[in-house]
Amino acid sequence: MSGMIELEEPKAAEHQMRDEIRQISDKVRRRRQLRSTMMVALCAIALCITAVPLFLLLYQLFNRGLPVVLHPGFYTQLPQTPNLITPNATGGISNAIIGTLVLSLYASIMAIPVGVLVGIYLAESDSKLAASLRVIAQTMAGAPSILMGLFAFSFIIRDLHIGFSALAGSFALAVLMLPVIIISSEIAVRGVPNTLREAGLALGAKPHKVSMKIVLPAALTGIVTGIILAISRAIGETAPVLLVIGGGYINSWKPLDPVAAMPLSIYENAKSEWPSLRTEVWGIALVLVVFVFVLSLSARIWASRKQQAR
Amino acid sequence: MSIVIPPPPDFTTHEEEAAEFNSAASSRTWYHYLLIFAALLFGAVSVGFVGTIVWNSAPEWAHHTGTLLGGNGWQSPLGPFGGLAMIVGTLETSVIALVIAVVIGLGTSISIVFLIPRRFRNVVATFVELLAAVPSVVYGLWGFLVLAPWMLKTVIPWLNSWPFAKELFGNVGQEDGQSLLLASIVLAVMILPTFVAISREVISVVPNDLIEASLSLGATRWQVIREVVLPTAKIGLFGATFLALARATGETVAVALVAGGVANVQFHLLYPGTSIAAWIATEFGEAQGNEVAALMALGVLLMLVNFGLSLISRWLVSRQRKVLAVV
Amino acid sequence: MDQEFMAQVETKVTAPTETPERGASAMQLKNVAVSFHGRTAVRDCTFNITKNRVTSLIGPSGSGKTTLLRALNRLHDLTPGAKVAGQILLEGTDIYRGDITVTELRTRVGMVFQRPNPFPTMSIYENAVSGLRFNGVKKKALLDEAAETSLKSAALWDSVQNRLKVAASNLSGGEQQRLCIARALAMDPEVLLMDEPTSALDPIATLKIEELMTELKKRVTVIIVTHNMQQAARISDDCAFLLMGEDRAGELIEFDTTEKIFNNPIDPRTLDYTLGRFG
Repeated sequence: MSGMIELEEPKAAEHQMRDEIRQISDKVRRRRQLRSTMMVALCAIALCITAVPLFLLLYQLFNRGLPVVLHPGFYTQLPQTPNLITPNATGGISNAIIGTLVLSLYASIMAIPVGVLVGIYLAESDSKLAASLRVIAQTMAGAPSILMGLFAFSFIIRDLHIGFSALAGSFALAVLMLPVIIISSEIAVRGVPNTLREAGLALGAKPHKVSMKIVLPAALTGIVTGIILAISRAIGETAPVLLVIGGGYINSWKPLDPVAAMPLSIYENAKSEWPSLRTEVWGIALVLVVFVFVLSLSARIWASRKQQAR
Repeated sequence: MSIVIPPPPDFTTHEEEAAEFNSAASSRTWYHYLLIFAALLFGAVSVGFVGTIVWNSAPEWAHHTGTLLGGNGWQSPLGPFGGLAMIVGTLETSVIALVIAVVIGLGTSISIVFLIPRRFRNVVATFVELLAAVPSVVYGLWGFLVLAPWMLKTVIPWLNSWPFAKELFGNVGQEDGQSLLLASIVLAVMILPTFVAISREVISVVPNDLIEASLSLGATRWQVIREVVLPTAKIGLFGATFLALARATGETVAVALVAGGVANVQFHLLYPGTSIAAWIATEFGEAQGNEVAALMALGVLLMLVNFGLSLISRWLVSRQRKVLAVV
Repeated sequence: MDQEFMAQVETKVTAPTETPERGASAMQLKNVAVSFHGRTAVRDCTFNITKNRVTSLIGPSGSGKTTLLRALNRLHDLTPGAKVAGQILLEGTDIYRGDITVTELRTRVGMVFQRPNPFPTMSIYENAVSGLRFNGVKKKALLDEAAETSLKSAALWDSVQNRLKVAASNLSGGEQQRLCIARALAMDPEVLLMDEPTSALDPIATLKIEELMTELKKRVTVIIVTHNMQQAARISDDCAFLLMGEDRAGELIEFDTTEKIFNNPIDPRTLDYTLGRFG
């Protein structure tokens, strides 16, 4: 500092705060720094704590499930109940795989058209009906899935006397999927730039044509992503189907037959007293998780690809 | 010879346009009605959803409200059907799970946003969302076949070596390791991805402006997080918390597998218990007559709690948007 | 290595790089270059910032003005892949030296940003004293005094003194920006960096802040980045002109008093720019 020429250096009194801050000892400063480092480290530890059980879960799932899923018979055979003579018999899970496919197929048939249309309605209408349906959809989207089971039981089985069946299960799953599809469709349709709509109208296209020929194709990616995510959620649900599908032991595609489902088989086999079933259950879980992961990953990747293409 | 001035071309177009617009309005009707029909159908489904469950539970509410809300013990098949054990069990498991998940989840979200290099952030976010998609029965399976034996062999003896362990946890573990504590832990693991997914989002939209402003005022990294980022994101974080709580209270099969399924009011966490949702799942298959109505009544309780929580959380998240819109 | 380094610093400080009549340097930049992931964003910046003067950094978009400014309080520290080369001396000490606490440095070099960014969850008062609180000042009397002084210096005291507890988001844009200035001033910094502080404001609010700056330079050295040529001419004493080179990296073209830069520049490109021929 010595070589400097001091010009107009303000009076000391004017820089009281400067002195005050400079006075804060290195000790305080170091303590602040230490505290910061410590807390940030704690956050990093929290990240590790989150990761550990989840990695453990995935590891054990693959470790125990892989030997089971490598048998081709696992996919093609019907289950066998072990008994004292053949304690290791488990058979396969063909009925559960078919059951899960059947359930999600019928559920999709019920939920997708209604869900997408309601989504479009919510995006293009500002009526009171739309506002209240939006709140309802958002609330239903988080409703406990067991309630869908209670609903399907009361309505399909009790009131309509249809009986424990694929139809009842897929109805429960459809109610579960509906709000998810509605919300994602609405977001997708709203995401279509208004200029696109106006361009269509300016060219003299009729509003419904604009909606179908311009808006829907533009929103398709978002809508399909939402549908896939809804299906992947429905596939893994146990609680709603637990109450109503009846747990069939045959391969059947008929809507009125009782069916099995993979999540339900996991639930039942886990509680089983037979070690062979408790081993097999990891295989079912692995297949189910792979199903769900493939669905949600493909939805995600597809959505991001399309986004980049734009 | 008079020159006939042709009408300006856009004149006719205007008229045509108007005509077309009118016809468009009328031909639009079928599409319009289709949309309204779908909307009404969804409205009917949701009214039916709530109405059917409430209606089917009505006999039980009419005669045994006190037992449902305050009675201990569930006597199949004739009753009385006391719901207190399930209510208390739901509260215990979901609140403990929530505390664990929020503390760890908040740290995790902060790490994801501020510590992990941007390149990996998307990978981690996708990973977290995948974990949120793992079916709950798989978490239940893992808790039941892996965590429960581990609790029995390792955790319970260790906990019992603590002072006051008896008073807090009870001194024995269940034979197969199922307990309210285990249910809380499994729930915490399950709701963590949900909580992290939302709170990460909420934290990452805190404007960079504010972070830089606090940095250039000489704030340490932690001060930036503690005094600027978290307060700004506060309302949204509460929203995430309520949503996680809603999810925890509604979780069914995982709790059914690990809680032990005993309908008894229980404050010792190492003893088995149950929750509303789990109890419906385990008892419904065998239920007859009044018991079905009683289980439906539990369903109504669950619905009220869940709808309340998610409405609060939506409201909070929308308020958070407004707070950020001001910035 | 440290000793060698110190020796270097010493020589730099004692060498009278500035002409005496321009006063002492608040900051000296020597061959400063900033790069992100190996790509240079700005380089070759060597000039002195004189105490109690307003120095403006001008140049077209992409010339690295803001990048350079943010290097002056080490705001690039948390940007992954960012690297600052060369030397930036504050009162003769290299601010990138290992033993400099970055939080302390930032109390000495304050910053005001493009968009007004008061903390939305804090009141006007809390905003004004936030920097002091970050740095561990706890005495109520001191905080009160600092709030009043800094709000007065930012010409905001009269309009807010009766509503100090009100959320800062209730203020108008111009008032918010002046609150941000007050927030930085509360710590009584030696240097105040301003990154296009009026670009988000209307003309009247802009004028107020410009008036403020002439007042401010009595207490603090101001470095301002601006897009607005008239603004630079009106308020700054010294001026650095930066331009994007052929490899898209910004570089210093010319540094001199504002008067010279605008009236009699050495480099023809400076003239072109100040006359509005490009940029």
